[in-house]
Amino acid sequence: MKAESNRRIESRATHPPSLRFDATSHATRSRPIRLLTAVPICDGHDSAISTINLEFVRRGLEVVYLGYHRSVRDVVRAAIQEDARAIGLSSYNGGHVEFFSEVLRELKRRGAGDIGVFGGGGGTITADDAKLLKRRGVDEIFFAGTPLDAMVNFVKRKYATAKKTFHAATSPSARLADGALAKCLTAAENGDRLSTLNSELSTRTLGVTGPGGAGKTTLIDELALRFLSTHPAGRLAVLSHDPSLVGDGALLGDRATMIYAQDDRVFMRSLATRGHAGGVSRATARCLDVLRHAGFDLVIVETVGVGQEALPFRRDLVDKTVLVMSPDYGSRLQLQKIAMLDAADLVVVNKSDLPGAKTAAAEIRQRLEHNQRGQRLIVTMAKRHRDPGVDNLFREVMS
Amino acid sequence: MNSLGRVVEVVEAFNRSVEAQVKRTRRDARFASELRRRWRRIQAQIPEIEIPTGLKFPRLALPPTDEPAEIARYLFGEGLPGEFPFVNGTYREMYLEKAESGKQKTEIEEPTRLFAGLGLAEDTNKRFHYLTHHQRTIRLSTAFDGPTLYGLDSDADGVFGKVGEGGVAIDTIEDMERLYANFPLGNEHFSVSMTINGPAPILLAMYVAVARHRFGPRVIPKLRGTVQADILKEVQAQNEIIFPLDASLRFLRDMVEFTTKYMPRWYPISISGYHMAEAGATPVQQAAYTLSNGFAYVEMFRARGLDVNRFGPRLSFFLDCALDLEYLALARVCRKLWAVGMRDAFGAGERAQLFKLHTQTSGRSLITSEFKNNLTRTAAELLLAYANATNSCHSNSADEPFTTPSEEYVRLAAHAQAILLEESGSFKFMMNALSGSPGMKIVERVVERAMLEEFHQLDELGGVLAATELRYQRSQIQAAAHRYEQQINDGTRPVIGLNRYHSAATESPAVNVVRTSREKKQRQLDRLEKFKRRHRSQSERALDQLAKVVERGGNVFAELIDTVEHCSLGQITARLADLVGRYRPTL
Ligand code: B12
Repeated sequence: MKAESNRRIESRATHPPSLRFDATSHATRSRPIRLLTAVPICDGHDSAISTINLEFVRRGLEVVYLGYHRSVRDVVRAAIQEDARAIGLSSYNGGHVEFFSEVLRELKRRGAGDIGVFGGGGGTITADDAKLLKRRGVDEIFFAGTPLDAMVNFVKRKYATAKKTFHAATSPSARLADGALAKCLTAAENGDRLSTLNSELSTRTLGVTGPGGAGKTTLIDELALRFLSTHPAGRLAVLSHDPSLVGDGALLGDRATMIYAQDDRVFMRSLATRGHAGGVSRATARCLDVLRHAGFDLVIVETVGVGQEALPFRRDLVDKTVLVMSPDYGSRLQLQKIAMLDAADLVVVNKSDLPGAKTAAAEIRQRLEHNQRGQRLIVTMAKRHRDPGVDNLFREVMS
Repeated sequence: MNSLGRVVEVVEAFNRSVEAQVKRTRRDARFASELRRRWRRIQAQIPEIEIPTGLKFPRLALPPTDEPAEIARYLFGEGLPGEFPFVNGTYREMYLEKAESGKQKTEIEEPTRLFAGLGLAEDTNKRFHYLTHHQRTIRLSTAFDGPTLYGLDSDADGVFGKVGEGGVAIDTIEDMERLYANFPLGNEHFSVSMTINGPAPILLAMYVAVARHRFGPRVIPKLRGTVQADILKEVQAQNEIIFPLDASLRFLRDMVEFTTKYMPRWYPISISGYHMAEAGATPVQQAAYTLSNGFAYVEMFRARGLDVNRFGPRLSFFLDCALDLEYLALARVCRKLWAVGMRDAFGAGERAQLFKLHTQTSGRSLITSEFKNNLTRTAAELLLAYANATNSCHSNSADEPFTTPSEEYVRLAAHAQAILLEESGSFKFMMNALSGSPGMKIVERVVERAMLEEFHQLDELGGVLAATELRYQRSQIQAAAHRYEQQINDGTRPVIGLNRYHSAATESPAVNVVRTSREKKQRQLDRLEKFKRRHRSQSERALDQLAKVVERGGNVFAELIDTVEHCSLGQITARLADLVGRYRPTL
């Protein structure tokens, strides 16, 4: 356990984070176009957008997918935090004129009018609606029958370059607005490093890793719920990773499964690994520096689903690490090979409702005791509402 | 192995037993001649009908054979209509006209159902009266708007634009009262179907409460109708689940337990593949996931202590019918697999073996360009649906891709069914006139094998619930949807007027879009506010009472029938979500 365990966690508006970047040439480097896609509130027609997401990713775009039944606020917040070039909306259940217009209005209100808006909804959006929406600032509406190619080409043409570029001189304010912070993260993701590192930061950082399907995202969302209710003024950041290959697109889908983390006090950012192996991205450390300086009380880093040998959190990348496992890891022999079991501060056996959960917990406990490092084992069932196991985990995380 | 593995085993055993009978006809001469005698007896009992041209026909079409092996394959492998395993239909006479009068049969209800819902409750009520004014048996099928489907009130944050769009806005018991005003709830010629899932128990509770107001408590056992309430396919395809899956299933079980005991004429769950197919599933995926969901529910309700022979007959199914070749026989295979599975894997009696099917023609196959072609598409799909002996059917309107159907196209869609069933001679004179072609049989065989393969796959993944949690069905459907669009794009799938015979001239077609005006939306908000104000003093108490039942493990549905007297849909959903959490969506 780290030394700073009894830090006070509360919002601090007193020490403005000062963000300065070393000048670099990131502007010239080509990087994938980033989009945010979503389906409006009270609408579950996600078939079109799922297909379009798949196609976009296949064709080299980075798509942050927010999911269906999403409010204007959630959509705009996510687009700003993710520094998306544009928002793609797929609307079928009517009320699209209102929804698209509100998205435009909210973007402007939050100073993010540079983010484009486009979308479709088959035949439900009439030519007249489309004309009206375009007048209000929507870039394009795709009617039924549009080939997928045409959409990809449109995006690549229209959103090839960001409208507004980031200026390192963005004046640091008490609490960096989401938009400015998002641009800092983009700079960090593209190679810029913070030049001044403040060593007196009191942000707590937590790394969460584990194999795919163990329930990392669900656990983080449940931790977010507990954080928000116990820290009425606190701010939380989540940095989550999804795998992608160099030069390829990526589907960044963690947001789509989050419910409690869709909150103005949560800043979430999705990173594609862009070919980097090991569970995080080359830019993770740089992004973490930025988030530490932005005055969050807690920053959670979620790795991609990792294999047995992975040790994603090198050298004090984070203060505390959690390994999330599901009971169905296989035999004791498989257990021997999991490297993180020796490195993690906390080990979570999630899905305690699965058969074999007791045995798994017992086997892992033995291994941790053998390690004699004071590692804690916590059994959870994150999908259960108010799971006491997750309460325990939250307590451990915050201790 | 879980129950699906059992189903695969019993179906294979059944097929082997049929083959054994077929072989026996070749070895065992006595058996063969007995079979032949029975066949002649069956043929002799089929009444004849003289059609208007003066020719006479048998009322039931049987394979024209006298070959014992063929007879055995038909009688044991397919069954006469209304006989196990029901390949040829759940009943002996489905769409047959009454022989004497030339009028529609009276004891069997008309199969036409039209899905409707628009604007406010009074608007939909008007549409219902318009649709049914000439019908003796009234079958209303209700579509709800987005906020209602998601358990939200019309005054919830950010939903104003969706109020009354794509379906009717229902917030309170008073809206429910308006929705079915002047209809005889509880009458044996009246039934309603409600397309609602996440909040199904709440909406059905409102319906029961309204009926109780109007006709007293004795009406409850007489209520007829269906509530979709199929929560598994919400996770897999339609995305309208509100509470976590376990909690949703518990609310569903409570409702099914209640209707099984006190509403014996109600169908508390419509096990649906329609939404999967519309989301992009292949026909086999649709059928396999739907039946496997059905078996999962059976297992679940049995675990709750309910008798399969009591709730089994109240399960019904809902499938899509599109233009793919598989639809030539899809429903036939489903009837067989359900019957065999229910009988041999779950020990169900005959009434619980029936796969009672509602079909809807494919909405997704209907497109905007040269949209009047949609009339032809729907007609072709209807023909397939009736050739598959569906028990009831909804035909889509040609303006389906644009809007809630307008009266003009709803009327055409209804007439398409009447033309097929009443004008054309293919269905009204002779049962099974179109069944049993060589192609149909080949499709049956291929589809059955593919479905069993899917069952096997689901079984390997730990069964339906485990596979659902792993997103298996969902990701398979999404991959199929992507493939489908690619195939339209590259021309592998011809779509007339779109990627073939496209005319550049027709850009924005003239259809009247049905939209709900701001004034109407505001009216809904105003009366909701009044309701909330009027019930302010009782609503908290009612919600606390509901919470107690949830926490005590009591029957939530029974309590909801009282809760809805004082609380709106949104208030109830919010309290329940407080208690059990909210559903966490997946990609
Ligand atoms: C599939 C479908 C469903 C499926 C959805 C499955 C799923 N998971 O997506 C099911 C059966 C579940 C369903 C249910 C409902 N549906 Co529906 N559904 C359709 C249907 C048939 C096709 C829509 C579709 O996905 N097409 C396939 C896509 C790929 O093609 P497309 O729509 O032509 O879109 C093209 C472009 O517009 C573009 N595009 C679309 N979105 C985007 C986004 C971006 C960013 C870009 C770049 C491009 C783009 O890409 C496509 C390719 O060219 C339409 C009718 C129709 N034929 O269009 C009704 C329709 C949309 N549904 C409707 C309704 C009312 C409902 C329900 C509310 C019914 C009810 N009351 O219960 C429910 C609500 C479901 C929910 N959870 O919200 C109405 C909406 C009416 C209105 N707005 O006035 C329609 C128009 C049918 C009708 N006439 O009643 N539905």
